[in-house]
Amino acid sequence: MTASIASLVFGCIVGYLGQRSRMCSIGGLRDYVLVRDTGLLKGAFAIVVSAWVAFGAVRLISGSDAGKGLLAAGTTPSGLRAVVAIVVGGVVLGFVATLSGACPLRQHVLAGQGRIGAWSFLAGFYICAVVYSSWIQPSIGGWVL
Amino acid sequence: MTTRVAESPREGFAAGALARVAPLARSPVVYGIVAAVGAVIVGQYLDVSPPAAYGLCSACHGRDLADWVLNHVEGRKLFITAAGAGAWPLLTVVGLVIGSFAAAKRNGEFGAIDIGGNARQFLFGFVVMGAALFVGGCPTRILIRTGYGDVAGIVGLGGVAAGIVAATLTMRWVARR
Repeated sequence: MTASIASLVFGCIVGYLGQRSRMCSIGGLRDYVLVRDTGLLKGAFAIVVSAWVAFGAVRLISGSDAGKGLLAAGTTPSGLRAVVAIVVGGVVLGFVATLSGACPLRQHVLAGQGRIGAWSFLAGFYICAVVYSSWIQPSIGGWVL
Repeated sequence: MTTRVAESPREGFAAGALARVAPLARSPVVYGIVAAVGAVIVGQYLDVSPPAAYGLCSACHGRDLADWVLNHVEGRKLFITAAGAGAWPLLTVVGLVIGSFAAAKRNGEFGAIDIGGNARQFLFGFVVMGAALFVGGCPTRILIRTGYGDVAGIVGLGGVAAGIVAATLTMRWVARR
């Protein structure tokens, strides 16, 4: 209940700001490579830096549940196979998301803004979610959250 | 000092504060700070927690919502993370669409635009969701995980950056050819 309401409200806030600022997680690097525009790249850096600062503050305040020290432990699969799998998956994710024009979060924002292509993107998105957790995840195991 | 006598001081202050704050919503940096700090607060203190750094993710939360609906309507046993497995689902993706709809309506930018390529976008969405669930989050959550200090997030961020650069150079090469 708490998680549901909190995530709905937080989603509304992020959606509002995302529509106003046109922020896209992959658009920063794309714009930098194409036209050397660093506006969106600053937003991506702001996410990383402020998440780092905020998680550090949480660790200082409560000390629980957020790992210890600078690097978190225990959430990640280890081994060379896992690293290779994550890198390959990341390359596919970045490549196809760039071809589709925006990162998934920005596609939700575009869908709320009325872009038809974003709605068809989201149709494939959620169908693949069900396909993944019905057939792919049971066969490879849920080792990555 | 002021020569205007029209409104009461409280209204004038509120309007002035709003006029000063409103342009901040257009800044990507403000978006980044609000999204990251909000994700940390929601993830650590408001029960969206069992996977670490789970406050904001469009792929994982969308997976949780779709699986929750299927589990409750059709009685299947699909995988949901512990954060979204309660009696109520995670509604981040619904909130994203509602918030962006409200912003677009309020600023007169709402309009059904069809630029074509819908079958292609469907296919892209399919592949993006599969890759995002494999890596462990949409690009936004990978950024947040990098800030969290998760090694898998950092490795995934390197892969995503390489993919973005490769796709951008490919698009430019195709366009110039």
